Amino acid sequence: MKRNFRLAVIMLAAVTGLGLIAWIYQLFRGLIVTDMRNPFSWGLYIATWAFFVGTAAGGLVVSSAIYLFNAKQLKPIAKVASLTAFLFAMGAMIVLLPDIGRPERLYNFLLHPNFRSMLPWDVIVLSAYAVVSAVYTYTLLYPDIIQRGVTLPYVGTVLKRDVSAEQLAAIKAASDRRAKHLAPIALPLAILIHTVTAWVLATQLARPWWYGGALAPTFIAAALATGPAIVILASLFVFGYKKGLEDTYKLLAKVSAVASIIMLFIYYNDFVVRLWWGAGREFDAVKLVFVRYFPLHAVEVLFILLAVVFFIKYPEDPKKLVQGSVSVIVGVFAHRVLLLPPSYNIIPLRLPVVLHNEAVEWPYPIAVGQVTGSLAHPERIFRSFWNYFPTPVEIMITAGVMAFLVLVFLSLTQVLPLTEPEPTPKP
Amino acid sequence: MRKLGMVIDLNRCIGCRSCAVVCKIHNSVPPGMWWQRVETVGSQEHMIAVGEYPDLSEVFLPVPCQHCDNAPCVKVCPVGATWQREDGIVLVDYERCIGCRYCMTACPYGVRQFNWQNSDNSFREGFKKAGFDQNWFADKDYRYGYPFDHRTKDGRLVFTLRRPKGVVEKCTFCVQYVDQGLLPACVRGCPGNARTFGDLNDPDSDISRIIRGRNVIKLMAELATEPKVFYIPPARKEGKGGISYEKKL
Repeated sequence: MKRNFRLAVIMLAAVTGLGLIAWIYQLFRGLIVTDMRNPFSWGLYIATWAFFVGTAAGGLVVSSAIYLFNAKQLKPIAKVASLTAFLFAMGAMIVLLPDIGRPERLYNFLLHPNFRSMLPWDVIVLSAYAVVSAVYTYTLLYPDIIQRGVTLPYVGTVLKRDVSAEQLAAIKAASDRRAKHLAPIALPLAILIHTVTAWVLATQLARPWWYGGALAPTFIAAALATGPAIVILASLFVFGYKKGLEDTYKLLAKVSAVASIIMLFIYYNDFVVRLWWGAGREFDAVKLVFVRYFPLHAVEVLFILLAVVFFIKYPEDPKKLVQGSVSVIVGVFAHRVLLLPPSYNIIPLRLPVVLHNEAVEWPYPIAVGQVTGSLAHPERIFRSFWNYFPTPVEIMITAGVMAFLVLVFLSLTQVLPLTEPEPTPKP
Repeated sequence: MRKLGMVIDLNRCIGCRSCAVVCKIHNSVPPGMWWQRVETVGSQEHMIAVGEYPDLSEVFLPVPCQHCDNAPCVKVCPVGATWQREDGIVLVDYERCIGCRYCMTACPYGVRQFNWQNSDNSFREGFKKAGFDQNWFADKDYRYGYPFDHRTKDGRLVFTLRRPKGVVEKCTFCVQYVDQGLLPACVRGCPGNARTFGDLNDPDSDISRIIRGRNVIKLMAELATEPKVFYIPPARKEGKGGISYEKKL
C-alpha cells in the first residue's frame, strides 16, 4: 500500500510536471498550439472548467445536507466531502488560466470588472465557494487538529494541543455549531456556481445549443450526479468501505442515481422540444449531436445509465460503487465536452437560400485565423465547420490540472487528520 | 452626438473583395484573419452562382463588424476591453483585452478574430505558405498598413501595426482614419461605390438620405443586436442587368 501510494504520487507528479511544461510552451507559442480557431473559440479547457464546477458541488451539498436536511449518515465523511469541494473549485479556476490568451492581465478583473458580463460573477461565486469550502473543512477538522495535529513532511506534527476531555467536548460542540451556521451559506453558493456557470453560456442567443432555461437545471443535475460520485471515491480512498459507513455510501449512490436520471430527463425533454419543430438552428444543433457527434453522445448516455444501474442495484458493493462513480464521471465529462461542438458548428449568421426548390439555411463562413496548406494546395481560410479535436498540448495541460488536483488531495490525506484515530487498545 | 454607421448597396456590390483586401492592407490584418469578408450567398465557392439554370442567383454579401448598438460582445466582455464609443463605434482595447474569447462566442456575425500567435509568426508563416520561399520578412521592421499607433481620446490603444499575441481584434470602421475626418478604407476602396459611411443622427448626411424611406435590412435583426451596418437588398435585375433607381441622390 505504501509503495503503491508512492508510485501513484510519482506518476501524478510527472503528469503535473508535463502539464506545466506544456502550459509554458503554450505561453510562448500562443494558443495556436491548441486546435481552437476563430470559428471554434472555446475547447477542452472550457469543457473541463464546466466539469470541475460540477464535481465541486458534491462536497458542500453533502456537508450542508447534514444540517439542512438532517442527513446524519453523511456526517462521518463531511470533512472529505468539503475538502473535495475546495479542490475542485480551485481546479475550475486553475483550468481557466491556460484558456486565457493574456493571463498576466487578469488583474483587469479587479480594476475594470464589467458586471453586465456573467464571467466576473462566475469568478466571484467560484472564489466565494472555494473560500467557504476551505473554511468549512477547517471548521469540521478543528477538533481533530487540536487532538492530533497536522503532520507536515520534515516538520512533524504541529498545531497539536493538550486539552482535557471536557475542553475537547466543548471544542467539538463549537465546531458543530459553526458548521451549522455555515450550512445555509454553503448550499445556496453550491447551487449558484452551477447556475452562474450555466448562465455564462445560456445567455448567448447567438448559440442555440446553449440558449434557454434548460442549461442551468442540467448543470445542477449533472453536478448532483458527479459530486456524490467524487465524494464516494474520495471517502472510499480515505476511510475504505468500513462498518458504519454503509448507509453513507448508499445515500450518496442514491442521490447520484436520481440526479443522473433527472439530468437525462431535462436533456431529452429539451431534445424533444427542439426535434419536434424539425427545422431551424435549434433543431440543427440536436441533429448535429445525433448525426455528427453520435459516438460522444452514446458515451455520455450509456455511461450515465450504467452508473444509475450500478448505484440502484448494488449500493452495498464497494467494487460496484467505484465502477458506478467512475462511470458517471466519464459520462458527465463526455457531456461537458459535447457542450461545445454543436454550439460552434452551428454558425449563427445563416442566410436562407433556395437550392433545388428547397429552402435551406446557408452558414456564412468564418476566417479561421491561420494560413494552412501551400501555394499548390491551399486550404480554406473561410470555414463553416471546424472539426475540433484537442491537440496533445491541450490534453497534456488538462491532464496536468487533473493530476495536480488528485496529487494535492493525496498529499492532504497524509497531512490532515482526516481519518478517525485508531482505537487505542485498553490496557 | 454623432452616430456612425454604414450602408452597403448590394445592387452595386460586384463581389470583387477589394474592400476585404484594402481593409487588410490598411489595418495590417495578419495572414489568416479577415476583418471584412465577402461571400456569394449560398455558394460553396465565391463567385459561383447558386441554383439551377436558368434560375440562378449570385448575391454578394460583404460582412464587416456590424457595430451593433446593443452589442453582445460589449455586454459579455468581463473587463470592458470591448466598448462602444460615444460615436457608436465598437472598439477593442489591445492593452486591456485578456484574451478570454467570450466575445467571439457571443458575436452572432463571426467577425471577431483572435491572435492565436504572435503576429510576426503569422506573417512569416503566411508568406511562406503563400509561396515566398525567401525570408520575405527579413526586414523585421516592415509591416504594411497604417504606420502609427492610434489611441482614443482617453488613451486606449485601438490600432497598432504589431498586434499583441492573445488578444481579440476586429473591424474598427478604420477608427484611425475616421478620427482624422477620413472615410474607412473599404468605403474609399469600393470600385462600385457600394458603401456609404456617415452620421446616422444627421438628417442631411448621405447615409441618412439613402436609408430614409428605403427598405434597408439588418443582418439577423431577430437577435435585436441593432446593427449599424445596413444593407440595400438586391433588386431583381431586368433586361441587361440594369437597375432603375427611383430616388435621386
